Amino acid sequence: MQDHTTEQELKERLGLIERMIAEGRRNTESWGWTFVLWGIVYYVAIAWSAWDHSVWAWPATISIGVLTTIVIASFKAGNHPKTTLNRAIGSIWIAVGISMFLLFLTLGVTGRLTDQHLFAAVISAILGIANGASALILRWKIQFACAIVWWAAAVGTSFGTDAQSMTVFLFAIFFCQIVFGIYGIIAKVQPREQRNPGNA
Amino acid sequence: MPELNPVVHGRLRLALLALLSSVEEAEFTWLRAKTEATDGNLGAQLLKLEEVGYVAVEKKFVLRKPQSLYRITERGRQALAEYVRALKQLLGPAVDA
Repeated sequence: MQDHTTEQELKERLGLIERMIAEGRRNTESWGWTFVLWGIVYYVAIAWSAWDHSVWAWPATISIGVLTTIVIASFKAGNHPKTTLNRAIGSIWIAVGISMFLLFLTLGVTGRLTDQHLFAAVISAILGIANGASALILRWKIQFACAIVWWAAAVGTSFGTDAQSMTVFLFAIFFCQIVFGIYGIIAKVQPREQRNPGNA
Repeated sequence: MPELNPVVHGRLRLALLALLSSVEEAEFTWLRAKTEATDGNLGAQLLKLEEVGYVAVEKKFVLRKPQSLYRITERGRQALAEYVRALKQLLGPAVDA
């Protein structure tokens, strides 16, 4: 067979293998929409709890957020391959989601979500852990910047008045959920530069 | 001189094996997007790889839509590794050029 194969063709085959492996390893799954969705969920929950001080504001809003995430994710799941990297990142966020859901559902229903500083600090610290771990796995500096903002918010929300604490928390949500989420959606769109095997 | 496995050597089949070697499993539409192959050509090459035992397919329904999930088998992984070894041997010093 190789009698008819030129050196150029063999090199091209080697290049194709490297390109396809790199393509498969690239984390193509876009989760930017989840950051935006959860940013909105947090804003709705904060607005609801500030409006009528209902103990159900956080548990109900988070429940709707979880259901919406599951429905949208199941529609999008088929278009992406399963990779170890995706599973690692997914595991972090699922574990964080379950922890936050159980914690805030219980605290909300039992009426113990009374200390706004503590509440915002705990959420910020948990989101700092998730973003930090995800950023270190992906080696993504921008997400690590989000983790730093969340950690700073965990410290910042512990000080000052209720209004100052809430301002810090709202800023962290805006920067790390809404802005980062939109960036994640936009950054996913990348030009294709290589000739693909199906066009050979 | 080493022989190049003709099943692996096909351009699209080689691309499919390389892609599948880097993921746990992948859907037909993802493979189509990455290779930019037509449905017919892609289906035929995947069938050939399946027949020789290099890939395995799982067909299921998700939200009432049919889904074909492909994964590389141990045999396919070995065939790809042997192909790369043979390729590098054939190219010799030219491999780094």
